Amino acid sequence: MKRKSLGFYFRIYRKILAQDLKSKMSYRADFIISTIGMIFTNIAGFVSFWILFQNFPSINGWGYYEMLFLYGFSLVSLTPVQCFFDNNWALRNQVYSGDFIKYCFRPINMFFYFQSEVFDIKGLGQFAFGLGTLIYSWNKLGLEFSPLMLLKMIVFLITASLIMIALQNAAAATCFWIQNSFFVLDLVTKFKDYARYPITIFSPVFRFIFTFVIPIAFIAYYPSLVVLRPDEVPILSWISPIVALVFFFLSYKLWMRGAMKYNGTGA
Amino acid sequence: MSNIIEIKNITKEFKVLNRREGLKGSLKDLFSRDYKIVRAVDNISMNIEQGEIVGYLGPNGAGKSTTIKMMTGILEPTSGEILVNDYVPYKNRTRNAQNIGVVFGQRTQLWWALPLVESFKILKDIYGVSDKDYNDMIELYQSLVDIEPLLHKPVRQMSLGQRTLSDILAAFLHNPKIVFLDEPTIGLDVSMKSKIRTLIHALNKEKNTTVILTTHDMGDVDALCRRIVIIDKGKMLYDNDIEHLKGFFGYYRTLKIRVGGDLKQTAEKIRAQLPEFSVSADDEWISILVDEAKSKVMDVLSQLQKSYKIRDMQLEEISTEEVIKKIYEEGVK
Ligand SMILES: Nc1ncnc2c1ncn2[C@@H]1O[C@H](COP(=O)(O)OP(=O)(O)O)[C@@H](O)[C@H]1O
Ligand SMILES: [Mg+2]
Repeated sequence: MKRKSLGFYFRIYRKILAQDLKSKMSYRADFIISTIGMIFTNIAGFVSFWILFQNFPSINGWGYYEMLFLYGFSLVSLTPVQCFFDNNWALRNQVYSGDFIKYCFRPINMFFYFQSEVFDIKGLGQFAFGLGTLIYSWNKLGLEFSPLMLLKMIVFLITASLIMIALQNAAAATCFWIQNSFFVLDLVTKFKDYARYPITIFSPVFRFIFTFVIPIAFIAYYPSLVVLRPDEVPILSWISPIVALVFFFLSYKLWMRGAMKYNGTGA
Repeated sequence: MSNIIEIKNITKEFKVLNRREGLKGSLKDLFSRDYKIVRAVDNISMNIEQGEIVGYLGPNGAGKSTTIKMMTGILEPTSGEILVNDYVPYKNRTRNAQNIGVVFGQRTQLWWALPLVESFKILKDIYGVSDKDYNDMIELYQSLVDIEPLLHKPVRQMSLGQRTLSDILAAFLHNPKIVFLDEPTIGLDVSMKSKIRTLIHALNKEKNTTVILTTHDMGDVDALCRRIVIIDKGKMLYDNDIEHLKGFFGYYRTLKIRVGGDLKQTAEKIRAQLPEFSVSADDEWISILVDEAKSKVMDVLSQLQKSYKIRDMQLEEISTEEVIKKIYEEGVK
């Protein structure tokens, strides 16, 4: 049997997604409530950001619109992990209950099969809100807008997304080895909230941690510098797409190794 | 004859970590060497031919699921060899998956939120089933069970029975060579059990699918399996026809008689009279389990007739259930 092509996986994903959306819409009350909840979450996030800036008009040399840009950038780059990889949150329970075994019986890639099962529609609101914020602050800052800049922006948004996805995969995969692994995933998620601040506001210790240990500085700070401060882009920004690819690949390998090790306890 | 499954001397041992408490404990566990070894499957061999339905029996913890996991490629045997469809399952898990179907009772593999028919369509794509084969299969299903009301129902709204039925249909959908059913009838009511037995039987006949079935319900075994394999504590106890099984302990039959007067007292007397057989009594009948190797039921009956006025009698073959129970209790000599 030949290896399944990317097109094959794409078709399957589209089919599952379409069906999933259809069934979500059919629970209308559910759908409306979660949409309203999504809007309020975003507004609340923005309000707390705004209040912060009423008190500190500039943080470490970063002005309001620059911070807003970073905020929007992080919202957009965190969308894919929220939309497409949300099932990672259920991994631990499925592994302990033994339900994870079902992913082992299909002639398709287990990682794909597992992640394709959940599409979290809430991420879309975050995406729209983040994109709006990004365009607004881009405009206000009078940043250069050219096709090349746009391309850079897209590349670095993808970079940032990949890093967050990789972080979450790796954190979720720890449940294949550690029994009480919830704290790992929880910790990574809590840290991701710091991604929207310029790393220079942190102490050197945390700067080091957020760059090399739990690299959330790559989720918004380093990549957005490319657009925000084109004259002083650190080398770390330029290599971040490669870091992201490598990191994503490693997290995938870790996840798969865990899944292979899994032997259906409790079935 | 061609074997679809060949198993030669497989053993599976689990290293079980003696877990520690708390967060600190779980971090320590990462580096711990504090293991004990559990031998779940112990030197088992068997060959299974295309089209057989094999009942794979044993008490809880016997090693049935572990064996199935090795055949499906989820677990690698500690030692020994397995060939399924000429492949080593563990080394070719996805290739093997293309040719098998699996159902673990009470654990659905269908998409929870989707109507059954949508799950079927996704599976059709995953397994690359042609439109014609798919339509033929759905037609066959329709002729065997009433699936129309199920097709448009989301799996999460189904009862356990409907879900199990759906899972079994999904497992056969891509017309695999082998279907593994691990306790499929567990927790189901009588009518659903019988529906599922009829379905499995028909699909096996129609498609010549090999079926490996584990169950605790001897009704499943009597309805479906000609051959049974029994294991306990990982060791093979029995692998043969179900008819042979009944002869395994000598030919036992149960003689039931009804007499006047106090049944319990009479049973006592008979017990003293026939010490080599087990005698019991309920509200209506006195039952005597007769080993025909020792004396014929008819001789026992005529002997009893001399001492008691027998109003009614029944003769029962020993049930599969009773034989299996005896095997679990006593082992095979
Ligand atoms: N993943 C595992 N890790 C450790 N021990 C296991 C594992 N799976 C099964 N066992 C042990 O192996 C033995 C056989 O289990 P199993 O194959 O599930 O039995 P059955 O299906 O016949 O009830 C049991 O003692 C069980 O505790
Ligand atoms: Mg079992």
